[in-house]
Amino acid sequence: MFNQYFQPNDILIIYPELLLALFAMGVMIIDLFLDRAWKVLNAFTALVGIAYAAYALYRLKSNALNLSGYNHAILNDSFAIYFQFVFLIATALVILISARYLSIEGENRGDYYALILLSLIGMNFMVMGIDLITLYIALELMAVSEYILVGYLRTNRQSNEAAMKFFLLGAFSSGILLYGISLLYGISGSTDLRVIAQRLAERPSHDPIALVAVVTLTAGLLFKIGGVPFHQWLPDAYEGAPSTITTFISVAPKAASFALILRIFIVGLKPLETSWVPVLSVVCVLTMTLGNITAISQSNIKRLLAYSSIAHAGYLLLGLIAGNEYGITGIAIYFLVYAFMNIGIWTLVVAMRRKDLIGDQIQDMAGMIYKNPGAAVLMLVFLLSLAGIPPTAGFIGKYYLFASVIQTHHYVLAVIAVLNAAISLYYYFRVVVVMFMSEKTDEEKMTLSPGVLTSLAVTLVFTLLIGIYPEPFIRFAQNSLSLFQ
Amino acid sequence: MEFFNSYILTLLILTPVVGALVLALLNKEKAETLRRTAFGFGLLTFVFSLHLVARFSSGQSGFQFAENHAWIPAYGIRYHVGVDGISLWLVILATFLTVVSILASWKGIEKRVKEFFIFILLLEAGMIGVFLSLDLFLFYVFWEVMLVPMYFLIGIWGHGRRIYAAVKFIIYTAVGSALMLVAILSLYFLNARATGVYTFDFPIWLNNIASNRLWIDPHIQNWLFLAFFASFAIKVPIFPLHTWLPDAHTEAPTAGSVLLAGVLLKMGTYGLLRFNVQLFPEATRTFTPFIITLAIIGIIYGALVAMVQPDLKRMVAYSSVSHLGFVVLGIFVFNMQGVEGAIYQMLNHGISTGGLFLIVGMIYERRHTREIAEFGGLATPMPRLATCFMIITLSSIGLPLLNGFVGEFLILVGGFGASIARAKLYTSLAATGVVWGAVYMLWMYQRVMLGEVTHEANKSLPDLSGREKWVLVPLILLALWMGIYPQFFLRKMDASVSRLLNPPIVMMVQK
Amino acid sequence: MVPLNYFLILAAILFSIGVIGFVMKRNVITMFMSIELMLNSVNLTFVAFSRYIQNLSGQIFVFFVMVIAAAEAAVGLAIIVALYRNRESLNVDEADRMKL
Repeated sequence: MFNQYFQPNDILIIYPELLLALFAMGVMIIDLFLDRAWKVLNAFTALVGIAYAAYALYRLKSNALNLSGYNHAILNDSFAIYFQFVFLIATALVILISARYLSIEGENRGDYYALILLSLIGMNFMVMGIDLITLYIALELMAVSEYILVGYLRTNRQSNEAAMKFFLLGAFSSGILLYGISLLYGISGSTDLRVIAQRLAERPSHDPIALVAVVTLTAGLLFKIGGVPFHQWLPDAYEGAPSTITTFISVAPKAASFALILRIFIVGLKPLETSWVPVLSVVCVLTMTLGNITAISQSNIKRLLAYSSIAHAGYLLLGLIAGNEYGITGIAIYFLVYAFMNIGIWTLVVAMRRKDLIGDQIQDMAGMIYKNPGAAVLMLVFLLSLAGIPPTAGFIGKYYLFASVIQTHHYVLAVIAVLNAAISLYYYFRVVVVMFMSEKTDEEKMTLSPGVLTSLAVTLVFTLLIGIYPEPFIRFAQNSLSLFQ
Repeated sequence: MEFFNSYILTLLILTPVVGALVLALLNKEKAETLRRTAFGFGLLTFVFSLHLVARFSSGQSGFQFAENHAWIPAYGIRYHVGVDGISLWLVILATFLTVVSILASWKGIEKRVKEFFIFILLLEAGMIGVFLSLDLFLFYVFWEVMLVPMYFLIGIWGHGRRIYAAVKFIIYTAVGSALMLVAILSLYFLNARATGVYTFDFPIWLNNIASNRLWIDPHIQNWLFLAFFASFAIKVPIFPLHTWLPDAHTEAPTAGSVLLAGVLLKMGTYGLLRFNVQLFPEATRTFTPFIITLAIIGIIYGALVAMVQPDLKRMVAYSSVSHLGFVVLGIFVFNMQGVEGAIYQMLNHGISTGGLFLIVGMIYERRHTREIAEFGGLATPMPRLATCFMIITLSSIGLPLLNGFVGEFLILVGGFGASIARAKLYTSLAATGVVWGAVYMLWMYQRVMLGEVTHEANKSLPDLSGREKWVLVPLILLALWMGIYPQFFLRKMDASVSRLLNPPIVMMVQK
Repeated sequence: MVPLNYFLILAAILFSIGVIGFVMKRNVITMFMSIELMLNSVNLTFVAFSRYIQNLSGQIFVFFVMVIAAAEAAVGLAIIVALYRNRESLNVDEADRMKL
């Protein structure tokens, strides 16, 4: 009886997550014994944990186990493994830049890293889960950790406000999502996405309950990725959160939410494609356009990047609408690219935070080329990548997404998307103008900690490498095609 | 030598990039070293490009010196470059004008010298890449890459409303190229659906179209044609999409204007000739009257607006609109004379307008104004400059024995002989453009150079310096050469142009 | 036996009240309570379905929802307390340090 439910295989396929949980606890315990000056060891511990988990994940793939476990609640297929690698990379980069920032803010404690690791575990389960119960718990594990992290600067009013808004809207969207899940359960009698897909295919196509389920699910999930009209929380949360956490939530949880969306829509709701594709198309157009147009008028770099990330969510929806191999590979490679370019640019924003300068206004970057030429050039590379100009990685990502909708003959969507990409040049280059073509207003130079330097080096190298020689990365991203099996 | 022959095109693209990297490593305080290094790399690229001319075999119509390597095999994207009679001279033009503009910026650029030359060299790599790419994906990459250095050249070293001009330039171009990307991808999937092969390779596409394996519905063809056309027409620029050009030209530094007018605009006409005309034969026939009308409006409108410009640079900029109208006309009359004339006129325009911008730049360096009203009688203090200016003005007008004449003559001959409706009417209208051109250029020359010196400040302007002579004399020699012995240049185009006009049923695909 | 639809309609009404309460009310605590109402309507749906299709997953789901709701409440209230300490107000309209 016992053996039937707990097999060694089950433990093995979640081994990376077990390790992460262990290290999350470890960080908190070790933290108790550390002096203020040694708090940087917390970051180190967390990094070791991630490295170990990455190694375990790598081994997991080659050990060729049965990848389905826990009575089919978890499916650790190559789609899941691919996204887990993306999360691990993104989290490691964020941890690298955190130590210095936290000590400037005076909040350098171990629970920060523990929460990041817990959130990472949540994300890993989000991509592994194929059962709605698992998916929901994983989603909440990720989200609850994030709520705390966004409000991590307890004495900072902006951080409090951001946490409150993020929490209220996050919990609200989970409620809506759950309602959709409950209806899906009702019509299919199961919480396994594969069974749901079968049952849905057997039902008549115009089914009001199924429609309500799709609408509420879509709304709840769109909240998580900041799709219009559910995007209002995003700029506030991004602006108010500690910059390192903004870096984190702009990449990894977004990728996790998207992977979840892919699982639910491509695996579970495929039979209802005709009802969700038009809805998502409209959302996609609105998201891209509104994100880009609102970004134009921002004067705060964090808000500008927040709106830009809304626009990017719009581009990503193209891949889902296409729903073909190009689209899925596109989303997968886009998140890999996005992890590097977005963390790169946010790292620079983090580095601009100095003792008595917030450094989040675009004007604070005036004449950056004179003061910190290296940082200005890096910023340029990341901005070009976000704008999708070759030979940077961003172009490869955009190319795939645009190609996917053209392959499925959504020409109007494609044209709107490329025009949006052209508009986005305007605000990205506004930052460039300030950095390269304005006179400097102060003499204060950036000081880059070793962690920040490492993070910048990694992000720069990969942003350029994926742009110039994308072949191996595309092969890597094609792992995500196991979604269709 | 063998190595050199097989990798010459890659060398051409990479030399400027290496130059830019070397510059990036040099000390930014040592301006003279930076200038010399940049000049060295520019010259080296130019010499390499001359090797192309020497080894180019005129009889062949296909792509020569081709290199074809897998780049992203997962989706059939290849690094495929090659040169034929159409692109050969444009590559030379790009390398030549880069050297000229590096020389011309020796004194004019005082601030941020290092970055300036880095951007010039990167721009050169982009320009060469655009002309050489035979894989549409690669072409798009170079097409976009080139935007960034040009943006910085205008935005940092420009005059007056430089940031406005730079942003306008980049947004216009980006919108156009975005549409082109959609069209390229559509073709990619159409080709894959028809033949089962996923490739962006231009010769393969052409081959499939010629052999009817890839048949594109005329309706779809029209849309694809328009998408490509939007991108190229903005670049040319064809009326009414020209509004970015006067701003960009006027605010750009001299070297920027020279390269913008000399080379970047040609990418538009090159693209029309290479891609629009060849990929979409039916759609081309549909749109020809429309495009010719726009070209003629451009010729006349450009000339008339140029006439009333108070600013020298703006005047030259509008003259470009007029001249490029001729080129477009030449392309869309579809006969030997017209197309060769168009290519020839692209080169002429590069030389004459490049020269005009250089001279305006030299005058600006001396007087810090470009208002025509501020000048008058400049020939008295600067006789040598006046002579050069005269020759280049005449070349721009199209005086016999100078290059401009050959190009315009061929285009007009082509126009009269064209087998399209109302060819004679169109061509006569275009011919009036030649007259208008003579009027505004000579009138401008008279107001700036001739007569009494009216402004005190103009009396003691220094004449051409040694370096400036080195900048202008090669241009003038080329203008004369191209005017007196055009056969040298046309001969190398013949085979490629005639194949373009009479595509064989099935072409050899070069593997 | 009470028909399934009764439960579903009741749940839908409760859910709508929750959504409307969340959108209309400006006090953080009230908004939070609205969210709890939404979650409970979901639980009702789950249990009703579970009972009628004779499948236990729904009831298990309800347990998890309750546990997570408790965790969310703990975190949420902590955030609210931190906010109150810094600001002494629980009206979301006054949370305006960042422009919308």
